[in-house]
Amino acid sequence: MKIMQNSGEPIYKQIAAQFRDDILAGKMENGEFLPSIRGLAKDLKISVITTLKAYEELEAEGLVTAVQGKGYYVNARDTEMLREQHLRKTEELLLEAIAAAEIAGMTDEELKNTLDTLLRLKGEE
Amino acid sequence: MENIIEMKNIVKKYKGFELNVPEFNIPKGFATALIGENGAGKTTLLDIMAGVNLDFKGEINYFGKFGNADEGDVREKIGYTASTSFFMPHWKIKQVSEVCSLLFESFDPEKFDRICTDLSLKTEQTKEKKVSELSDGNKMRLMLASVFARRDTSVLMMDEPASPLDPVMRDNLCDMIREYLSEDNGNRSVVFSTHNISDMENVTDYAVVVAKGKIVEQGFVEDLKEKYISVKGEPSDAEKAKKFMLTFSQSKYGFEGICLAENLDKLAGMDISTEAPGLHQISVAVMKANM
Repeated sequence: MKIMQNSGEPIYKQIAAQFRDDILAGKMENGEFLPSIRGLAKDLKISVITTLKAYEELEAEGLVTAVQGKGYYVNARDTEMLREQHLRKTEELLLEAIAAAEIAGMTDEELKNTLDTLLRLKGEE
Repeated sequence: MENIIEMKNIVKKYKGFELNVPEFNIPKGFATALIGENGAGKTTLLDIMAGVNLDFKGEINYFGKFGNADEGDVREKIGYTASTSFFMPHWKIKQVSEVCSLLFESFDPEKFDRICTDLSLKTEQTKEKKVSELSDGNKMRLMLASVFARRDTSVLMMDEPASPLDPVMRDNLCDMIREYLSEDNGNRSVVFSTHNISDMENVTDYAVVVAKGKIVEQGFVEDLKEKYISVKGEPSDAEKAKKFMLTFSQSKYGFEGICLAENLDKLAGMDISTEAPGLHQISVAVMKANM
């Protein structure tokens, strides 16, 4: 896990984002425990309250569940909601691509072609 | 949220100074920082909490069961370091270990030796020195070793532990605090006072700002970072913005300062940039607002 101290993005958000990605990508499985709050704080050299806030954010998103005295475990049962989050992220990134294409003066046709090409290249991997 | 120490109506008067704290709690499982100017009352508050100063008015409760520091095993559970060395000046490192073994049941001489080695107190130059011959930084290292070497403490109370330390040792101290908190399933807590807010920010969970004998702000750092906001703006808006800001400074290029996030809408329409302030900025703003 890479934490940037001066990136402008709050550290707790960076931590939450990395766990979220791992959970959504299936790298962390349902039932698996997140590292202990104080153990993670020690390893990342950050305060306990920052890791706690990251975990609380993941809990609020319904990705993990807290068990008193035991910690937080992955509990991403609501697959529909997860899919929804992925869809939203895809839309956001596509909008960003469209904005960049506009700045570059690409036509809609060129943009679609680029996407097709990228999809084809990915299929060949 | 559980507290390890709860205090009510604490009053301590000296000539020309009064510490007056209606209510104050230390959260369990976290690192709490006492921040304030010289003479604000941090040491007085810490000494009362640590049971070093028993001459005060008010109520204090340790671990939900004991009404003063001499009851039960309270003293065995508290590890305390002062801002200056409390060891006898003619002792050497070995005698510090012997005396601590006598004073505290859970003092672990082997752990003490290990920590002293880690903190470079066992070098050829320092190991045979008397306490009085050690530098201020080494005196602090020795006190730190003596409390971190005790197995059964639940709370460490340290008065300005970072001040005499060099930057590398401050970083080590932060690591030691985080490691201490990570042991014993969140049942351990740390309280320290500090002037070196930036150096200690990454180990501070709960911040308490003390000014003129009163607690003027307290909260978990992540909450304080949402309560206050750092604002920069254009010179033309400076006059209008000024009255909503806690701290304010102006140059010909613009103004900047800290304001309460809830007041941000009063700056609507101005060309401003905002960012989350660091604990240092927040503390200075609160201290200045209470001068």
